[in-house]
Parts: sequence; structure tokens; C-alpha cells
Amino acid sequence: MSTDRTLAKAASQVYAANLLEASKAKGNILEITAEMEQIFSTVIGNVDLRNTLSDHAIPVTTRQSIASEVFAGYDEVLLAVFSVIVQRNDIMLLSRVAEAYLELAEQALGAIIIDVTTVVSLDDDLRRIIKDKYAAQLGSDVILREHVDKGILGGIILSTHGRRIDASVVSQLENARVTLSKRN
Amino acid sequence: MKRTFGHKAGIAGASAALAASALTMLASPVLAFASEATEAAAESEENPLALLIPNPGEFIPMLVGFIVLWIILAKVGWPTITAMLDKRVNTIKDSLEQAEAAKVESERLLAEHKAQLEDAKKQAAQIIADAKVSAESIRAQIQAKAQDESSAMIAKAQAAIQSEKKAAIAELQSSVADLSVAVAGRVVGQDLSDAQHRKIVEHYLAEAGSFDVN
Repeated sequence: MSTDRTLAKAASQVYAANLLEASKAKGNILEITAEMEQIFSTVIGNVDLRNTLSDHAIPVTTRQSIASEVFAGYDEVLLAVFSVIVQRNDIMLLSRVAEAYLELAEQALGAIIIDVTTVVSLDDDLRRIIKDKYAAQLGSDVILREHVDKGILGGIILSTHGRRIDASVVSQLENARVTLSKRN
Repeated sequence: MKRTFGHKAGIAGASAALAASALTMLASPVLAFASEATEAAAESEENPLALLIPNPGEFIPMLVGFIVLWIILAKVGWPTITAMLDKRVNTIKDSLEQAEAAKVESERLLAEHKAQLEDAKKQAAQIIADAKVSAESIRAQIQAKAQDESSAMIAKAQAAIQSEKKAAIAELQSSVADLSVAVAGRVVGQDLSDAQHRKIVEHYLAEAGSFDVN
């Protein structure tokens, strides 16, 4: 079991390193990161797609073509690496590959990547405030990956390395709703 | 039956004796009466006292007849009649004794029956009393059970009402909360400008914790 985990980690590192090298060459480390997370989260979240891509009864070429068609339009290097993952039937390693790539990308960039979600796009002042605050906290430069989501109604959500700060209006309203519902 | 037969035989014997004596008496004087009647009538006309003095010619045969009759009766009639009467007396005595015994027996049976009746009455009274006690006990049990059941039903109903009330209040509260949040969300989402949103972000950032803490 431990050997399996070691092998899985090594394989994930290999996939992540190859992807990083390719993205470095193209100079789109951050963009690749975003697209990679989109593809991986889609596969992980869709049982049918995941089972299809990891089904031994389906020829490898067919599975690869399915992946290419589903994710057409994404970065070619990313799709090439994903195709190899499908070919080698390593779909279960997607989360590990993503984590490994993020670590390698941060090392390459010399900064920690923080995902920032807001209702409106950030302005320079807000970017500076966020960078200053979390660079001081984390002891490293910070790179922001900005996302706009009207669904959070307001406020901000910050996340990095699986840790999350939810200061959105929708979550605070949800907390208020739960508190009101429980009070009796 | 045997006794009845003997009784009849005795009666027949006595009747025969009486018939014999009667024949004896009638045989001798019948002829005398015819001749003597005329003579007596002539004498009475001469001496009235002669009627009171018995005529020896008549008296002696009559006496002899009487004596013969007496002897016959003493020899044949009286023992039969006496035996018959004794038997009759004994029969009556036995009957009286039997009647007395029957009376005693009947009195004893009556007393026994009275005692049994009294005993039966007592038993009936006891049964009725026991039945009353049992019925009272059962009634009390039924009342207590009904009381318990009604109390349990009331408690259950009250608990159900309370539960329903709480559920209704909770549902109402939840609905109010949902509505309030929806209204607040709509107000925040639609009525705020970008600058106001950025202000909110800035405000929340100031209050937001660190990744280490979370």
C-alpha cells in the first residue's frame, strides 16, 4: 500500500513536471493551472466520464479521442498530458497531479498562488491590499488568480493549497439563516 | 294381599254364623207366632199384665235358641270377629306407626330441606356479595385503566400538539429566515454598485482571518 502511494506520488510528479516544463516553454504557467483544474474537476466530478475514461473494455484510442473531444479548446500541452494519463489509466491520480503541479508552479514562480473570487473584478488597490496582507502572513510573494462569481453576492473568497477563507455575503447570509432557523 | 284375604275369610265366617243363628231363631218361633198371636190377643183382653209376663212356651225355646246362638257365636263368630278386629287394630296401628314414621321422616326431610334452603340462601347471598365485590373491583380497575389511558392519550396529544407547534414555529422561522436571506441577497446582489462591492471586499478583507488560522 505504501509502495502504491509512493509510486502514485512519483507518477504524479512526473506528469506535473512534464506539464510544468511545457507550460514554462509556452510561458503560461498560471493559465495552464486554471485549465488543468477545470479539466480535472470536471472528470472527478462526473462519474460517467470518469468511468468511461478508465474503462479497460474501451480501446485506449477511443478513450483518448473522447477526452480530446470533451475538452477541445483547452491548451494543447495540457490535453497531451491528460491523454497520456488516460492512456496509462491514471485517472485516479488527477488530484495528486494537480497538487504536484501547483507546488512546482509556485516553486517556478517563486510565489504562492491564491485563488480570489469576488462579484466584481478586483482593482489595483484591492490587489495590493490582498497581496500585502497574505504575503506577510505566508512569508512569500503572492500571485492572485482572480475569478468573478455573481453567485457569492458580495465579499470575497480566498483559497490556496486546500485552505479557504470564505468572507462572501452568501456564506454570511447562510450563517444568518442557519442561526435564525435554529433559534427557538 | 294376604292380610286382605284373611280379613275377607273372617268376614265370611262371621256372616255364616249370623245367618245360622238367624235361621235358628226364625225356624222355631215362626210357627208359634201364628197360633200364639191369637192366644195372646185373647189373654190381653182378659189380663193386661199378661203382656208383660213371658210365656214359658215361647220363652224357653227362645232362650234355648239364644243360648245355641250364643254358643255358636262364641265358638265360631267371636274368635273370627276378634281376630279380624285385632288384625284390623294391628293394621290401623301399623298404619298409624307408618304414618307417624312417615310424618317424622317428612318432618326430618322438611327440616333438612329447610336447612338446605337456608344454606342455599346463604350461599346465594354470599355469591351475590362476592359478585358485588368482584364487580366493584372490576369496575374500579376499568375506571383506573380508562383513567390511565385517557391520561396517556391526553399527554400524547399534548406532546403531539407541542411537537407540531414547535415544528410549525421552526418551519415558520426557517421560512422567515429563508425569505429574509433571499431578500437580503437580492438587495445586496442587485442594488450595490461595483464600488460598493469593492468597499465590502475591502471591509471583509480587514476582518478576514489568515490561512493558518483557518
